[in-house]
Order: sequence, then structure tokens, then C-alpha cells
Amino acid sequence: MIHTIHALIQSALPSVAQPAVITVGILYFAVIVGISVWAARRTRTASDFFVAGKGIGLVALTVASVSVSVSGFAFIGGPAFVYTAGLGAMYIVLPAAVTNVMGAWVLAKRMRLLGEARGLITIPDAIGARYNSRAAQGISAVAILVGIIGYMATNALAMGVVINSIFGVGLGWGIWIGMGVTLAYSASGGILAGIYNDVFQGTLMGTASVLVFLFVLQLAGGLGAISQTILQHDPGFFSPWGKLTPLAALSFFFVFSMGSLGQPQAVHKYYMLRDPLQLKWYPLLKTVGLVLVLLLYFGVGVGVKAFIASGKLPPLGSPDQATPTLLLNVTPIVLAALVFSGIAAATMSAANSFINIGAAIVTHDLPIAFGRRVANELWWGRAVTVFIAIAAAITAQRSGAMVAFLGIFGWGLFASTLVPALAIGLNWQGATPSAAISSIATGLVVTLALETASYLKMFTFPAGVTASAVAMVASFLVFFVVSWLTSQRGRQPIADDVRLVMEL
Amino acid sequence: MIRKSAIAALFLSILAIGVAYASAFRKSGTPAWSPWVVAVAVPVAIVAIMMLGAARDEGVGRLKIPFAFVALNLIVGFVAALALPATEGAASGLFLGLPLRAAIIIYGVGLLPIFVLPVAYALTFETQTLSAADLERVRRLGQANAERAVGDSPDGRS
Repeated sequence: MIHTIHALIQSALPSVAQPAVITVGILYFAVIVGISVWAARRTRTASDFFVAGKGIGLVALTVASVSVSVSGFAFIGGPAFVYTAGLGAMYIVLPAAVTNVMGAWVLAKRMRLLGEARGLITIPDAIGARYNSRAAQGISAVAILVGIIGYMATNALAMGVVINSIFGVGLGWGIWIGMGVTLAYSASGGILAGIYNDVFQGTLMGTASVLVFLFVLQLAGGLGAISQTILQHDPGFFSPWGKLTPLAALSFFFVFSMGSLGQPQAVHKYYMLRDPLQLKWYPLLKTVGLVLVLLLYFGVGVGVKAFIASGKLPPLGSPDQATPTLLLNVTPIVLAALVFSGIAAATMSAANSFINIGAAIVTHDLPIAFGRRVANELWWGRAVTVFIAIAAAITAQRSGAMVAFLGIFGWGLFASTLVPALAIGLNWQGATPSAAISSIATGLVVTLALETASYLKMFTFPAGVTASAVAMVASFLVFFVVSWLTSQRGRQPIADDVRLVMEL
Repeated sequence: MIRKSAIAALFLSILAIGVAYASAFRKSGTPAWSPWVVAVAVPVAIVAIMMLGAARDEGVGRLKIPFAFVALNLIVGFVAALALPATEGAASGLFLGLPLRAAIIIYGVGLLPIFVLPVAYALTFETQTLSAADLERVRRLGQANAERAVGDSPDGRS
């Protein structure tokens, strides 16, 4: 993931400001505004604002969830990573075959039923209810907030890069235009606007991805022809681990499979499904949707490698240029315009989700952790939304190096702090509040310490080991060991309704 | 019983992954056995956590077949990728457009589980995950919670 965020942030995307691209870009923003106005008129309560009144249908929720599960990385950084690391880069996305159904079995039913029984609206709410502990709710809220700070700043900067590339307005204006539009729909229509914009954006991303994949296959003469061209020039590209070590590739699989259970932008969506019985088809639909969106990741990565090897494309200035080079040199300009709008869509979709979750933490979870309730959560939710968006835009504009650092640890931080306490805790009655608090604190401290030491070059990990993986293992082990050590005196009685949800 | 087994399997697999990572910090470099341990432990961890989520009092029922299949599929895929000789080159035969070891990873590890797990989830949803009767029980509790909250509120409102 380190490469991923960097790829979108640090690559100076070439200018694609041509009439067709600008027209598609303007149409894209017009649709976003239209959806947002519609959603704002339907947002009347805090529940509407934070969980869309628990009234989203299956297809809309699935497409929206796909949309927030991939960032701009799937379109720029991912293909660049495949181009560089070969098959090894696929270990980030291969877990998609199991993660959605894993999330459905482990979290979806229990969180949706907790929403039904308790009216819960946030992830820390679920942790607080499970352990009957305001401290556990509070520390999980802090952990999510720290991760969101990183994600928001990087998303703001990524938006700036993409919008500048499409409209040629400069990076600073790109950041403010992108964040301004996202803020407008986040603050007015809350997650309801976010969901329906995600549906539009996810459809756009899926369509662009499939079209580009088919175009690459047609141009190359099929996957076999691509493979043969690459194998003649660089056989190691198609080794099962690509250019990575086996341990590094397997490590990616571990972090991106188990870690998916702690990603709040996806997990939070479980609360929103109108009818819990519709969960039946959710994993299948979401997995198929994700595979379609990720076709571009694989197709462009291997396609550009083959086209450069066969002389159809010029050599790249840097791997991050893989997608723009392909789009600007060989695909029809309308398809390029669709993809660039898709990239903008991906960053805005992720930003909206994180803004909404961050606002819920500040106005709902942190006050509850201190034994208080905010009187008007809807009003304060909107106010905090504005604050988070502006703070992210300012951070993105002023501190590039710091933003790059912040973006590194988001995924790993969510994974190491939330997976044991939430995913295991909701399924194992032996887990104790002390274990939840200890494992969240372990994930937070280990991730921040190792990432900081690594970023400042005070320490270098051996090949195949990452801070995210180490922090996740540490957090899991602490969770189990503390649960067993405190099983007699540390176990809080589980409320009857929560126990029922855990036993079903 | 199934929950205890899943917790034990999850703990041991995470511990094994931790040992493999720790071994990579040796001055002599990552030992050859390290990726083999992770290749087995990661699928075990994934399937263990799915079993934990799917388990009810009577166990995982018919789901034990897809769970066993996916665990075996992932382990065989990773172990085959480690064990098979590197034959990728200009003269390599292709399987569905990819060299053998790459095809095992992309199609075997990356695509095959899609045709098994989400379908198994849907087919067993009413018996193993959530039935209308389960939902009704939770809704009754939710209703009772809401009424209690109204009663506890000083002005009669929640």
C-alpha cells in the first residue's frame, strides 16, 4: 500500500486537458451536484446523515461498497505496481476472492443486527456495545480518527493531482475544487449523498475498467500474446511472486485479506442495508463488482509491459505513467476521459466516506466515551464535516512530505487496531474489554512507531516484512493472550441482546 | 466446540506467521522455511476466521465442505508456487493465456474461491446465517430496548 498512495500523490500526471476530457469531466461533476441536491432534501436526522436511515437497497449498497473499497490506486498506482513487480503486485488484489464473503460471515450480519437491536450507527458503537465499555469505544474511535487524518490528507492531494490533470487548473486549485465538491455533497446530504454518488462513481469505474481491459486484450491479440511477448523479454515478471520475494508476496496476501475486516469505509456500510435478509447476495455481487473494477489493475499493468517490450509504446518516464501513457497513446480519447473521471470518482468517493466516519466519531463516539451526548448530532455532524474537509485540504496543500507519510499507514492502522477487537470480538464470547483495549492500543502504537522509524530511515525492515503485518500480528496475539489472562476477573457480562446477536 | 477449534486454529496460525516474520530478522537472512510456514498459516487463518463467523451452536453444517475446499485450494496453490520449478521463458506452454505457475496463482488462488464461497454463503444463508425467525427475535429485542429507553427518558422521549 505504501507504493500505492505514493503513486497517486507523487506522480505528476500528464495534462489531459483536451475538449473531450474536459467535457466528460464537467458532465461528471454535474451529475454529482444533481445527486447531492436530491440527497440533501432527504437528510433530516443524524441517522439519515451517518447511516442513510438504514434504508439502502442491496444493489446500491453493493456498488457503493465496491466504489469505496478501491481508491485511485486501482487506476494509477496499481497498474504501475504490476508493471514494476509483475505477478507479485497481484497479491494485493487476489484476496478479493475471499474478503467479501469473509466480511459477510464475520461482521455483516452481526453489525447489521446490532443496528437493529440497539440503533447503533458507528463502528466504535459496536465495540462499545460488545464489551459494554466506554473506554473500548473511545480508544477505537481515536484509532479510526488517526487513520482518517492520514487518509483524508492523501485523498485531498490525490484529488488535486487528478483534477489538475483533467482541467489544467494547477495543483492548489485542484485540491480546493475536488474537496469543495466533495464537501458540498458530504455536508448537505451526508452519507445518503455519498452512497448514491458512490453508485454513480462505482458504475463509472467499473465501466471504464472493463472497457480498458477489453481494449488492451483486443489491441494485444489476447492474454496469450501478451504473456508470450513478456516472457521473451522478462520471464521473471510471470514468476508466481513476480519481482517480490515469496515472503513479501504472501505478506501482502495476509495483510490485505485479514486487514479488510478492519477497513471502516467498507465495514460501516453493513449498518445501512434496508433489509438484513438481503445480505444473502451481498458477497457474490460485491465480489463480482470488485473483480470488474480491478480488471484495469491487471490489464493495464501487463498490457503496458507487453506494448513497451514490443515497441508499441515508448518507454515510461516512471512506472506511475503506465495508465496515462496507455490512455493517451492508444485508447480512444473518450475512453481516456472516462478513466480520468473514474480516478477522480475513486478519490472523491473514498474522501466522502472518511469525512462522514470522522464526523460521526467526533460528534457521536468521543462524547459517548466521556459519558456525554451531543444535543443536535445532525447539525454538529455537518459542522465537523466542513472542518475535516477544510483541514484536509490545507494539510494537503501545505505539507507534501508529511502527507505522503500520513498516507502510508492508513490501511495497516485500521487493520491492526480494529480486526481483533471488532471481528474476533463479535464472534468470540471469551474476548474481554481489557483485551480489546490492549490490542487496539498495541496496533496504534506499533504501527505509528514502526512506520515513523521506517519513514525516518532509523530502521529498515527485512525483505517481505512490513510494519502493517508486524502490527497486525502483535495486535492479534495481545488480544488472545490478554483475553485468556483476564478471562475470570476481566470479563464483563455481555448484554442479552448483544449475546443473542453473537450466538445467531 | 467448533468455535473453540476456530479460535485455536486462528491463534496458532497467527503465531506461526509471527514466528516466520521474526525469523526474517536473523542476520543470515530469511530462512528457506519461512515462506512455507506463511503459505500454510495464512489460508488456515482465513478459513478459521470464516468458520468462527459462520459457526452456530450446531457447528458450521454443510459449510465444512466449501471451507475445507478453500483451505486446501489456497494451501495447494501457494505450496505449488513454491515447489514447482521455474520454467517461465519464451518457450513456456500457456494455460488460459498464462504460464503454469502464474495460472495457478491467478486462476486457482484468485478466481476459483469466487465460484465456491459466495455461492455457498447464499445457498446456506437461511439455515446457517440468518433466517426470518432470527431477524424477528432481534427485532423484538430492539423494540423492547426502544420502549425501555423511552421509559427511562425524563420527558418520556428517547
